[in-house]
Amino acid sequence: MKPILIIAEVMDGCIRPVTWELIAAARVIRDLIQTNRAGGKRKAAQIAVIVPAQDPVPLAREISSLTKVDVLALKVPTLVAYTSEAYKECLAPLIQELAPSHILVAHTSQGRDFAPGLAIRLNAASISGVNQIRSDGDGLLYSRPGMNNTRNMVLRPEPGFPLVLTLTPGIFLARPCQVKDPGAVMVREISFGPKQPVRMVHQKIARRENEHQALKKAHTIVAAGRGIGERSNLESVARFAKYFSASALGASRPLVDMGWIGYDHQVGITGASVAPRLYIACGISGSSQHLAGMKGSDWVVSINKHPEAPICSHADVCIVADVIDFIRVFLEQEDALQGKI
Amino acid sequence: MKILVCIKQGSEDGEISRFDEFALEEALVLKDRFKARVDVITAGPESAVAVIRRAFGMGADQGIHIVTRDSGFVSAFVTASYLAAAAEKGNYDLIFTGIMSQDMMQGQTGPMLAELLGLPCATGVVKNYLTPALGLVPIEREMENGCRDCLDIRLPAVLTIQAGSLLPRYPSLSNMLAAGKKSITTLAQGDLFPVPVKPKEVLITIECPEKTRAGLGLEGTLLDQARQLKAFLQEKDLV
Repeated sequence: MKPILIIAEVMDGCIRPVTWELIAAARVIRDLIQTNRAGGKRKAAQIAVIVPAQDPVPLAREISSLTKVDVLALKVPTLVAYTSEAYKECLAPLIQELAPSHILVAHTSQGRDFAPGLAIRLNAASISGVNQIRSDGDGLLYSRPGMNNTRNMVLRPEPGFPLVLTLTPGIFLARPCQVKDPGAVMVREISFGPKQPVRMVHQKIARRENEHQALKKAHTIVAAGRGIGERSNLESVARFAKYFSASALGASRPLVDMGWIGYDHQVGITGASVAPRLYIACGISGSSQHLAGMKGSDWVVSINKHPEAPICSHADVCIVADVIDFIRVFLEQEDALQGKI
Repeated sequence: MKILVCIKQGSEDGEISRFDEFALEEALVLKDRFKARVDVITAGPESAVAVIRRAFGMGADQGIHIVTRDSGFVSAFVTASYLAAAAEKGNYDLIFTGIMSQDMMQGQTGPMLAELLGLPCATGVVKNYLTPALGLVPIEREMENGCRDCLDIRLPAVLTIQAGSLLPRYPSLSNMLAAGKKSITTLAQGDLFPVPVKPKEVLITIECPEKTRAGLGLEGTLLDQARQLKAFLQEKDLV
């Protein structure tokens, strides 16, 4: 059986937690392959993790002691920080040598950046943003979002090629814990630069600190999306937010990009990841990057004109209406109840 | 300075896929600043020529149309192969794509194109500080939680552009009038690849995403719905 390889996600010299999810997904793939084969008595595919880093051994030990899997510490003395060029250059020869059936990468800003090019280098099939893996008897099927997140496309790789997958974080959940019988840790050293012409030089990671405090503290977030129509309608969404105590006004990315509201209000992977008691999405269609940033909310209410919007699949309550009209009616009713009218 | 922007048809005829429109805008800003030449390329059916005309209206200089017969799901590898074959001889300093297409959302065509051409590639670029004199493009690419990865890339390079604060311009009348004089190179899929490029993935079916929450729909007039929402919020102790 060909092995299933995982590329650990390393950032700032640490293993990113999404790596545990990749291991969980590798186990799903291994088990599906095993069940699919007649008899199922042959040895299951081996799972191994590759950790590319300047000093990968401690990281490799951490992974093996928390997951039992074998880990290959890929020591690259010049690898100060991630670049797609360095990763492809260092990983491709090692992967070719190991001849895996699958190469699992996180669908993150890093994984999305190098995986497609790596697939070309390996002459591999490549499926990005996988959110479900299943088997139909003929083999494994991989589901991924398309059509503005309103549909899932189910793909089958052609046989005879290795398969590079990038896996959407937050789907294949895993809780790593100390194990008695950790996997083996092997070390391989590889050089990258300075002899090769290095064309990508990492400078720094620019961070934003202490933003999104209001969103993170709020018990209720009322968030506006493009469906509110006009900038001036933000006022009525803000009024709706004020109706709730301990609340904050959120926004989807396009509103921030258009300059309607500050970055401090942005919810989503590239903004704040939030988990309030109540999340009310006003005119938000629900891109996967937005959904990933608010799916930890206890309760989700969506107000949107379009019943087809992806957010409707991820809300507890769906109100199909013009969001501004609905807010007006809701607040008028509340005013009436409190005798203000 | 020669820039190539890869564009794809959006959901409506003649409309450029949203992220590609941002990529084109980014290139046109560089055209204004450095007098760069901006070409556009698209792979698609005969009707896709409309997006090249639209790009001319926005200010692009020349167009390449690879006429393809593929329909439905098209593997990013196949598209990237077409684009690479057509772009190879163009001597472009920079190639832009959108971060992903609206329909397929794979985000793979750009980085695959780069690899096929042997060029460095950065995805999700939100800022570039192109310095032609140094043959360098320092960039910032978006990471999670508002962080940005800052790196210097040697030209020629491929960048996939994330939609940002720079709104794509509308086609101008003068550009549209000049569009008729601009040249479009038409290439047939079979000219580029006598033996068709085979995809390594096939589409089996398209499904509705699974619901992760109940999605209780509220019925009736707006007032009915408002009352039901209030009752729900009270029941869950959310107000």
